[in-house]
Amino acid sequence: METLAKLADTTKNWMFHRKLRVAILVLVLIFTAPWPARAQLGLDPCCALLAAGLSSIQSALSKVIGGGLNQILSVDQAMQQFQQAVVWPQNLISQARSLVGVLQGNFNQIHKLMNIPVNSATLPLSQQLEQVLLSRNANDIAQTSGAYTALYGPVPQPTAASPQVLNMVDMTDAAAQAAMKRSIEIDALADLELQAADRLNQSVQAAAPGSAPIIEAQADAWLIRANAYTQSATADLMRLRSIDLANASADIKMGATNTTSLRQALANLLQHQ
Amino acid sequence: MQLLVYTTLFAVLSWLVLTIQSRRRLMAVSLVGVMVVTLVGVPQPAQAQVGILGGIEAILNVINGVIQTALTTINTVRTAMNNLQQLVVWPQQLINQARTQVTQMIGQYRGLMSNIFHIRLNSATLPMPQALEAVIRDHQVNNFPALTATFTNNYGPIPITTAASAGDRDMSDMDDALTLDNLKTLKAGDQATDIELQSADAIENSSSQAAPGSAPFLTATAITSAIHAQGLTQKLLASELRQEAARLAHRNTLRKENATDTTQLRGVLVNLLQHQ
Repeated sequence: METLAKLADTTKNWMFHRKLRVAILVLVLIFTAPWPARAQLGLDPCCALLAAGLSSIQSALSKVIGGGLNQILSVDQAMQQFQQAVVWPQNLISQARSLVGVLQGNFNQIHKLMNIPVNSATLPLSQQLEQVLLSRNANDIAQTSGAYTALYGPVPQPTAASPQVLNMVDMTDAAAQAAMKRSIEIDALADLELQAADRLNQSVQAAAPGSAPIIEAQADAWLIRANAYTQSATADLMRLRSIDLANASADIKMGATNTTSLRQALANLLQHQ
Repeated sequence: MQLLVYTTLFAVLSWLVLTIQSRRRLMAVSLVGVMVVTLVGVPQPAQAQVGILGGIEAILNVINGVIQTALTTINTVRTAMNNLQQLVVWPQQLINQARTQVTQMIGQYRGLMSNIFHIRLNSATLPMPQALEAVIRDHQVNNFPALTATFTNNYGPIPITTAASAGDRDMSDMDDALTLDNLKTLKAGDQATDIELQSADAIENSSSQAAPGSAPFLTATAITSAIHAQGLTQKLLASELRQEAARLAHRNTLRKENATDTTQLRGVLVNLLQHQ
């Protein structure tokens, strides 16, 4: 503290002895020091131009950009309102989803109906064949021929009938067995289709309006497939009826041949007498 | 930079003023120093305003040029999209027209078709066939025993063991079984058909109130219903296949038996002729 007080006294004395020079320096400093420029207050013509320019920018921003954006906003709002109210109304979408749920209930009822056991045979051999036929299991198809032959008998021995009759019998058995096998196959396929349809319907229930068409496309593909299987079963039914008709025709042909043979045999018999 | 130069020169001036002894020199140094320091310390002429005005003009040009053009274009495009959506893709008038058409078609066809479909087809005249006919057409699945009973009443039971050969009994049992299987499947199928019709009605009702955005749900569920319908058709077809196959097999068995009988008869006749 003493040192500082001494230093202050020394400086004071030194400045007192040189007061003129110090005063000159102070004045020079006051009048020549580069003070920071003060802000213009709008009195300068330059500042007026600046203010006008800024005002123009503000006006342009408000009219051109603000106006343009407002127009776009109003168009977008109209689009949004239109899409929400007309194209994708939430209440109608929810309503459609709930209908999908209701229909799932209908599908479940159909499943139950299709799974009701219908077995009706009472004797062992017919029960065995019926069990295979109603199995809905493609793995059981191999058992069809055995159960069929056990019930309807084998093709007669070659000595037991004419080749024509044997061929006819074999062909008819083949068509009947194939149709029975096809019936097991088509039952199994129908079960899988119903299962897939349920899955698709559940997906529809959880879908968005934009994803529903994808599920719809898949469902369309399944429908085409189902149509193809139906056609295939129909084709087998037609084959069965064709064989039946061919058998009826063959019976007439064989009847005609047998009648002719009998007539000749009788004629020969009469001539011998 | 200006401040640095000024400070340096002021320091030099201060040193000179404080160290010079002669008064005349002091005056001269002071005057020269003041002039020099004044020259250095005076504010530089401002050029900024001219640059700012140019900048403002440039900004205005950008706003009125590029930005205005872009905004106008965006607005034009958005307006065109809006018009496209409202007038071409989803015109409210056609949406309403489609809904009205659905409602009109419901009114025009549903009742009519339902009436046709529910016309009673029963045609039997005697008591037992009437009973069987009633059972096979009642769309119920809880009366299978009644079906079996009325069927047996009409077509008789399987012959007892002593009344027919084992083969004939088996075949007869199989024929009856497949007939009954078919009739039971048909009863279940009839009820399933009723449910399908209810589903179709529900989908049609909903489509009369649907929006373009909710219609895909209805379409998708309609297709899954169609798959179900196909599955049901296939079940019926499978049953029909079994029945037709059994009918053919039955006739074929008779043919086999005929062949065997004929062979046996031929043998008997040959033996008979040989004995004569």
